[in-house]
Amino acid sequence: MDKDYLWDRSGEADPEIEKLENVLGRLRYNRAAAVFPEIPVRVRKSILARLFQVPWAPAAAVALLVIIIAAVGWLVRPKQVALGPAWNVTKIAGTPRLESKPIHANGGTAKLGLGQTLETDSQSRANIQLDEIGTVEVEPGTRLRVVRMSELKRLALERGTIHASIWAPPGQFVVDTPSAVAVDLGCAYTLHVDDSGDGLLRTTLGWVGFKLGNREAFIPAGAACRTKPKVGPGAPYFEDASESFRTALFKLDLEGGSAKERNAELTTVLAHARQHDALTLWHLLPRVDQSQRSRIYDRLNALVPAPEGVTREGILRGESKMLDLWWNQLGLGDISSWRHWERSWSPENGVAK
Amino acid sequence: MASIGDRVDVFAASLGRGAVTNLSVLATTDDSPLVSAAQAGDRVAFGRLYEQYARMVHGILMARVPLSEVDDLVQEVFLVALRRLSTLRDLARFGAWLAAIARNRAKDYHRRSVTTVEVTDDGSETETGSGVSGSAGNNEAAVILAAIRSLPDAYREPLILRLVEGMTGPEIAARTGLTPGSVRVNLHRGMQQLREKLGRWRE
Repeated sequence: MDKDYLWDRSGEADPEIEKLENVLGRLRYNRAAAVFPEIPVRVRKSILARLFQVPWAPAAAVALLVIIIAAVGWLVRPKQVALGPAWNVTKIAGTPRLESKPIHANGGTAKLGLGQTLETDSQSRANIQLDEIGTVEVEPGTRLRVVRMSELKRLALERGTIHASIWAPPGQFVVDTPSAVAVDLGCAYTLHVDDSGDGLLRTTLGWVGFKLGNREAFIPAGAACRTKPKVGPGAPYFEDASESFRTALFKLDLEGGSAKERNAELTTVLAHARQHDALTLWHLLPRVDQSQRSRIYDRLNALVPAPEGVTREGILRGESKMLDLWWNQLGLGDISSWRHWERSWSPENGVAK
Repeated sequence: MASIGDRVDVFAASLGRGAVTNLSVLATTDDSPLVSAAQAGDRVAFGRLYEQYARMVHGILMARVPLSEVDDLVQEVFLVALRRLSTLRDLARFGAWLAAIARNRAKDYHRRSVTTVEVTDDGSETETGSGVSGSAGNNEAAVILAAIRSLPDAYREPLILRLVEGMTGPEIAARTGLTPGSVRVNLHRGMQQLREKLGRWRE
């Protein structure tokens, strides 16, 4: 066969291929063996299968199996075998299901591994221990899946409710929902997703970031945020805001409507806004049109005067640096911490680590 | 915190926690005894299969999913293989069987990524994530990888196995179960298209 460097490195080296090898070679896989579990029991069925090839064995084996199954069948209920690293799942009530199999054995504990799904019916609840970074309590009617278990812990909440208590550094625990991504910033929160994919996040301690594309929400303790598929997170609001304020906010921010209707909703929001509802007004600024932005600017400026370096013109242009400066005046912490942790998982600066 | 691949395991330790073996040595090795032993529950044997096939799996996945996901998916593929090993009847086809699992896992990844929003993985597939970002050399690798991944399916896989994973054409054929002829043709056609693409980008 002819010398062919590309094929088998024979013959004279092609300089361009050599260069490609050198550059791309740094991406070569070089990781050690993973944590493989015991070969699952059913793998060993092949040994049983071989027994059946011995002439006298089938009848004896079948009889033996029947006796064993009848006598101790209830003791050998299917166990969920988590492959690789896994989190402990404990049954709190009812019969949670891991990979469609009920959690019965070991006092109602099981291992939840990468890619596996945990589901609770209307009567069951469970608790997931996320190694040393926190816990997630799973309410009835919930279905979630483990997406990532490396340095970044990531769940996908398809429906239902979870309560997360996280003590890891900010940005290490992320939950995907059908309409936004929740990023823990050191906190405790409740996240609910209904069957239509709408979500509600309520922060009880610390902070949570909620994001879809460029639409983001920072939700401090005492505040909540609704989210809708294809829209993303709405503006967060303090839960003690008036009913009128919240109703108008949802219509304005998440439901669209005509310009006239939106102006009317904005009028209600601005009229009912208290000083700490500056949280909501600040979030609305980049989401509305120029004329509405101007009205929000005036109200927000009355509640929390714009700091030096922030101008009306700049805010109307939507300048993000000015928005960040103004945020820092709201008494809700420094936004740079979010910007810092956002970099560790957002697409603009790389991918989830 | 340790990721899957970083964790210490009994048999990994027994293997000297070795990195993936040089595949050129193994091109003609018959893996049937290892596969048979692994089917009987021998985890060390399975660990050796991992050593021999991890680069192939890595390359197959790299041709199809965002780079940041590849390492975790490699581990997943081997875990799936371990779980299904008893269903493999033709032991000599282990490589082809494993390659099929890897390709299917890549398809699953794309199916799942549309059912839930994962902002970081939303299809942009920017190769600036861990493993590629940083130096100018890494940026160059990202650009070339992007060029390879823009080629037709049939060319991506052999090119990545050859240029990234360092396998020769005969090794690629032996590991993946493809015929040497088709691997050779796809390597050359893919290389030709890659040269043209990189040439256009440089102009």
